[in-house]
Amino acid sequence: MDVERTIRGLKPLDGQVVPIRTVQETRPQEEFGDAFVAEVNVKSASKVIKAIDAAFPKDPSLPLSHLRRFAKKELLPPPLKAAIESQRVPLTAPTQTIFVLISPPLPDLTTLKALLAPFAPHTAPAATNDPPTTNETPDEASQSDIPTPTIQLYPIKIPLCPPFNTTQAETWTKTLWPVIFNPAAPRSTVAPPLQTLKRVQESIEPRAGYHLSLARKVAEEAEQSGLGRGVGAVIVDPAIDEELTAAGYEAGHDTTSQWDEAVLAVAGDARYSRSEALAPSQAQLHAGVAPNPASKIYDADVEGGPELHALMRAVDLIARWRREHDRFDDVSSSTTTTHPSKPEIEAPELSAFESYFLYRHRPTSTDISNSPRSPSSTLKRKHEVPNPESDLSIHPSTDPSQSHVYQPPLPAPPPSTVVFADSAAPTTTPAAPRIRTRSQGGYLCTDLDVYLSHEPCLCCSMGLLLSRFRSVIFPRRGRLASGGLSSEPVGPVADELDQAAEADTSTVDKEGERGYYGLHWRKELNWRALGFEFVEDGDVEIMGEAAMPVFHA
Amino acid sequence: MEFKSDSVMDDSRHGYFMKQALLMGEKALQSGETPVGCVLVYNDQIVGVGMNDTNRSMNGTRHAEFIAIGEMLQSYSRSALQYTDLYVTVEPCVMCASALKQYRIRSVYFGCANDRFGGTGGVLSLHSDSSIDPPYPVYGGLFKTEAIMLLRRFYIQENEKAPNPRPKKNRELNTRFENGNEEAPQTW
Repeated sequence: MDVERTIRGLKPLDGQVVPIRTVQETRPQEEFGDAFVAEVNVKSASKVIKAIDAAFPKDPSLPLSHLRRFAKKELLPPPLKAAIESQRVPLTAPTQTIFVLISPPLPDLTTLKALLAPFAPHTAPAATNDPPTTNETPDEASQSDIPTPTIQLYPIKIPLCPPFNTTQAETWTKTLWPVIFNPAAPRSTVAPPLQTLKRVQESIEPRAGYHLSLARKVAEEAEQSGLGRGVGAVIVDPAIDEELTAAGYEAGHDTTSQWDEAVLAVAGDARYSRSEALAPSQAQLHAGVAPNPASKIYDADVEGGPELHALMRAVDLIARWRREHDRFDDVSSSTTTTHPSKPEIEAPELSAFESYFLYRHRPTSTDISNSPRSPSSTLKRKHEVPNPESDLSIHPSTDPSQSHVYQPPLPAPPPSTVVFADSAAPTTTPAAPRIRTRSQGGYLCTDLDVYLSHEPCLCCSMGLLLSRFRSVIFPRRGRLASGGLSSEPVGPVADELDQAAEADTSTVDKEGERGYYGLHWRKELNWRALGFEFVEDGDVEIMGEAAMPVFHA
Repeated sequence: MEFKSDSVMDDSRHGYFMKQALLMGEKALQSGETPVGCVLVYNDQIVGVGMNDTNRSMNGTRHAEFIAIGEMLQSYSRSALQYTDLYVTVEPCVMCASALKQYRIRSVYFGCANDRFGGTGGVLSLHSDSSIDPPYPVYGGLFKTEAIMLLRRFYIQENEKAPNPRPKKNRELNTRFENGNEEAPQTW
């Protein structure tokens, strides 16, 4: 078969997989808020905390664990120390004191003062009958002849987000208020856990070059057909990918050449294929001309729509396969076999590559097609997903830290059976399908990876999140100004987090040309995926994104 | 972007179309879909209707907006969308907000905001961000409580299709809103 020969002849892209940083990593927010500092008796420190915590609710969305709650006078930032010393009332006796931070949400100041009054250090005026001199008007003060210890509140600014690095932590400690640097803290709120990122990166690295090479092949097919622009998508099940690695390890030979076993579906762009209002499509208007002349410019009226983009089509192919194969005996599946309530616009016909990958079956000879559906493998899948909601379903007995060394329970192949015999690609043997049906636990594109020839547009970027992909990978050369995943310009921007904070405004200012949405992993969104770029060997450091024709991929 | 003045709210034209969108949302609820409905209005005519279709299609991207556009394009060319308004019960998500921009929708009217996925102010503001497509105006808050009640009625149910359904037996339908009004879910 022609398609098969083409696949066998594909040369992998050479290069390396690089995580796409999140927008919060590339543009760390430095937000500051108002707070107060009060001097209290050191012996009451724990009571002070209890009283404050009991009286004033915290904002759970604003964790301020990076801020020290107390600071001794000698550890106060010099500017604050000077400000306090200029205002503060001298103590009568050498009382040991400490400064407590009152952080936002800020309580009513009168209530706060009353609450803290019992813990105030004895001040000189309060010990005698002199009126308190500060923070109260003379009128108020003269009314109270009874000596009451008073609390002075000193206004300060505090950083609302944890520091990204030690440098930032030190700067804040010296200028604002003592902060604690916890390397895990900033990442936990604004970026995927490093462990997860590393594990997934290692899982995709061995065959990423092949999958991306296939994506480009599919893109080429789409362009040559005249049905779309040259954009391609490849959906891969990493569980099969990892089984391949494991099988190869057991059999003692390299399984890289069987990379395509893990491909569930491919799809090319088909934006010119749709006939609107019964008029001929762009492909029909320019039949036999490739690439389609419409692709020379960006004219919104002939761009079809995002549902015809490669990623959206690939996602729908998985869904379509399930609709065709799922014999789930519930109400919803009975409607899946019937037509939807109203006629839908016809989906474009499948190309040779698309139907080949969607409808081929896994070989039986290896017998591993059944094993990935075993519960243990399902558990393993869960760990790969950076989603808090999916994490809830992790079996308590499974230690996530061990998942990367976990080997799926492969039945030992009989000696006579060669696992994934090379050229005799046993695709002719009908066997278990690659795509899990809904009854087998298949749900959208959960736990799958998608390889794209280009950076997807914003619409497709969100579409892949809604489809619950585990990760998305595209070549850096495929970046588009209309894309939704990049978080920073290509350039000599340092990769070290330490320098991220210092990359400051100059980076941000240069961004006028395009938006950097980093949509794959945004803390604001409910769903997240891991994003990677593939940097090909020989890619020049600074690539002109503008050199690409601007369109939505 | 809220309906600050009563003029738009009282405008029976906007109200009529949003009610049709709510009807689609109601239909979605009856079909076990997330209750979001929408209509596309061109020359004062409804030319496309949609409701969320992700469960039936097993495709998480089949949101109401795409269904409605698909219907419209059977009878109209894409360029007609430049003169078309969308009425949708919930603020378009990031995906749909971008799609609507690529399709060059004229304007969008929505019911309640979407602070988890919203792409027209909820989380991102793609409608007004600069891009290769022109921005579009967005007006929110039309029949907001009705849209919210639809969602509440949906989320109080258990999701049997979820890999790990959460038990919700003891939950009661919340009919209260911040302004203190208790409102029964409307049926249109």
